[in-house]
Amino acid sequence: MTRYLVARVLQAVIAVFFALTAVFFLVRITGDPVILFLPLDVQPKDITEFRHLLGFDQPVWVQYGTFLGRALHGDFGASLRYRAPALPLVLQRFPATVKLAVVSLALVAAGAVPIGVVSASHRGSLVDTLGIAVTALGQAVPGFWLGLMLIWIFGVWLRWFPVSGYGDWTHFVLPALTLAAFYAAQIARVTRSAVLDALGQDYVRTARAKGMSEPNVLARHVLKNAAIPVVTVFGLNAGQLLGGAVVTETIFAWPGLGGYILNALLGRDFPVVMVGVLFTSLIYVTMNFLVDLSYLWLNPQVRYG
Amino acid sequence: MKRSAVILLMFGLGTLLLPAGIVAQTKPTQVTIGIGSEPLTLMGATIVDWTTNAQLENIYDLLFTRDPKDERIVPWLATGYKVVDDKTWEVTLRRDVRFHDRERFDASSVKFTFDYLLDPKNKTHYLPRFKRVQSVEVVNDSTVRFRTSEPYPSLLNDLSLPGPFMLAPVYVQKVGIEYASSHPIGTGPYKFKEWVRGERLVLTKNPDYWAGPVKIDTVIFRVIPEFSARLAALLSGEIDVMKDVPPQAVDTVNRSGRATVRSTVSSRINYLALETLHPGPMQNVKVRQAINYAVDVDELIKTVLAGQSTRICDYVSRFDPAYTPAVKCYGYNPDKAKQLLVEAGFDPGKLTLTLDTPTGRYPLDKEVSEAIAAQLGKIGLTVHVQVNEWRSHLDKIINRKVGDMFFLGWGPDLEPTGTIAQLFVGSLTYSSFGDPKIEEMIHKAEQITNPQANAAAYQKIQEALQPMAPWVPLWQQHDLYGVATWIKWQPRPDEKVWMWEATAK
Repeated sequence: MTRYLVARVLQAVIAVFFALTAVFFLVRITGDPVILFLPLDVQPKDITEFRHLLGFDQPVWVQYGTFLGRALHGDFGASLRYRAPALPLVLQRFPATVKLAVVSLALVAAGAVPIGVVSASHRGSLVDTLGIAVTALGQAVPGFWLGLMLIWIFGVWLRWFPVSGYGDWTHFVLPALTLAAFYAAQIARVTRSAVLDALGQDYVRTARAKGMSEPNVLARHVLKNAAIPVVTVFGLNAGQLLGGAVVTETIFAWPGLGGYILNALLGRDFPVVMVGVLFTSLIYVTMNFLVDLSYLWLNPQVRYG
Repeated sequence: MKRSAVILLMFGLGTLLLPAGIVAQTKPTQVTIGIGSEPLTLMGATIVDWTTNAQLENIYDLLFTRDPKDERIVPWLATGYKVVDDKTWEVTLRRDVRFHDRERFDASSVKFTFDYLLDPKNKTHYLPRFKRVQSVEVVNDSTVRFRTSEPYPSLLNDLSLPGPFMLAPVYVQKVGIEYASSHPIGTGPYKFKEWVRGERLVLTKNPDYWAGPVKIDTVIFRVIPEFSARLAALLSGEIDVMKDVPPQAVDTVNRSGRATVRSTVSSRINYLALETLHPGPMQNVKVRQAINYAVDVDELIKTVLAGQSTRICDYVSRFDPAYTPAVKCYGYNPDKAKQLLVEAGFDPGKLTLTLDTPTGRYPLDKEVSEAIAAQLGKIGLTVHVQVNEWRSHLDKIINRKVGDMFFLGWGPDLEPTGTIAQLFVGSLTYSSFGDPKIEEMIHKAEQITNPQANAAAYQKIQEALQPMAPWVPLWQQHDLYGVATWIKWQPRPDEKVWMWEATAK
């Protein structure tokens, strides 16, 4: 088991390193950002001076080396736009994203999993068809359209919820619904097929033959076995949500990670982009790891090491 | 009922209503402004960014400012100026001004601000703009001298636009630049109360403001990046002011009962640049003139912009002293256009051109570009419209990788050295045109410090540019602001969102 853990940590480090390197060079393809930070009436030689001040006149490899050297000490430089250290700026945005992700995932789990289970156990019935249709709609409808519709209906017209922003529980409802709608479909379908799969197994037939009631069969035999694919997809979704749901955050003026990194990218604010990439790749790697660990509990036959 | 009892009853009821009247009058007023992005810093004189400066100019003051109607330069923290010689400007200052922390505003504040601005260590965006300023000398408490390394005719203009805001020396030196950048102290009509990054900036009124009483008690800038969410917030009453209501939404806002759309003719100009700085058909003057004859600007204004813009035929806005009606429009003449193209050696039916445009940066920029392409199609040209993300658009222009034509806006255009001298010198960043004779004229004009002579020189330059047809000049855009009905405030041509000018109705 220890060997497995060490291997996983090593893999994580390599993955993050590659992500950082790839993004470092990719963003520089778009050219240097110096001009974007200067007034429109700037003269060419001032651009050169400013470029030198910010260190962008050095060869890319030298810039990369400097970046790595500093990063190993935890110094990710200062945001080009905000003139403040990049790492704390990005960290500040994390809580808002986490809270929204947690609420959205809770909604998904509370809504989609039961739909999937019910659909599978009443396969072919009206309930099944309805369940799948509704969730498929959730996945097909573009997130920005759904978000804006919710804003107009519940925010502007009915005035039940605030239109945007981050605050008390009322601010969470619309954005969480928007996010949940999309992921619910996926989870419902995966749950449905996983449960169907489990229902077809021998041990289920045996349990039924023994006279066990259907709900009992579901609870004691089916769910745990069906859980593995569901948990996998759930983990992936959680990784995406924790990395910041960019479209939703923008529409709802949610001060989270996704919108922040996107703006940094559009504004060519390289130091913030690098910290953002570090964060999101760490999140993904961690979520994957947690999912893999959960298999140990869900399926005793799984062994690592 | 007995008469005296009735009178007593009425009197009694009247006194019951009195507290309500007092409360209604003294209820604090609060204006929430929906803004697209948060300020990048709260330290003045550091970053050039409209959103940042729009918020900072409520906290800080400038030495000079602009009249809201005609954009003429008026003294603000300064009381006047004198051109001592070609390289020296003397500015006199008000004596009764204090910063929010009660320290006095005087000549040393001006010197401190410029020392900060010009210090390469601070990497302010204003360093390139003000680098002709060698030093700021304190003559006495209420007089400073700006010494420049070469003649700097636009110094006054640069001092009157955001933002070399006046910084508080005692405060900044005490708390340090980093703290002062998130807890600002200025001389302005509003004091800093709270900054929740990415969400809102809260300001409260400065009761001792030197320029007079501040009418609105609290100003909140709320960050809402997506414009339709901002519109929704305006309609639901969550915000009171928003800039740039899209023309399609004007009716919705006006019918809502909560807010109305107020528009102003902006000092920002939009134009179609004809790129001559890389090889292509546009390097031929006849082709450029042909494009001018083939674009029907009046039709664009009428059909695409629903009349919401004011046409220009020259290269600057009407708020610019160099504005000249002597430069006439080419006029719509498709036959002449075709003839010129043939004379230039091109067959209109076989010529393919590219037009680069941003989207959402200027009112209906993409739609106008597509309409222009359609108009050019009527004389047989094939035009590909390339829609760019804003920064890529700028990148292409800067690196001369842009197509044959590009759509751009420029402003606020309040004087020619920020416009003509920047856009018609081939080596400068956003230029699309270079000509030795024009550059010679510009170089001479840049040295003239007398304002009238300066304006006249730039008018002559525009008259010389006319036959060279470097652009198809389009219009001064109209800025549309959504403002709650209870607020009395008029938008400005220079795009300042200055709550000092607002009152409750």
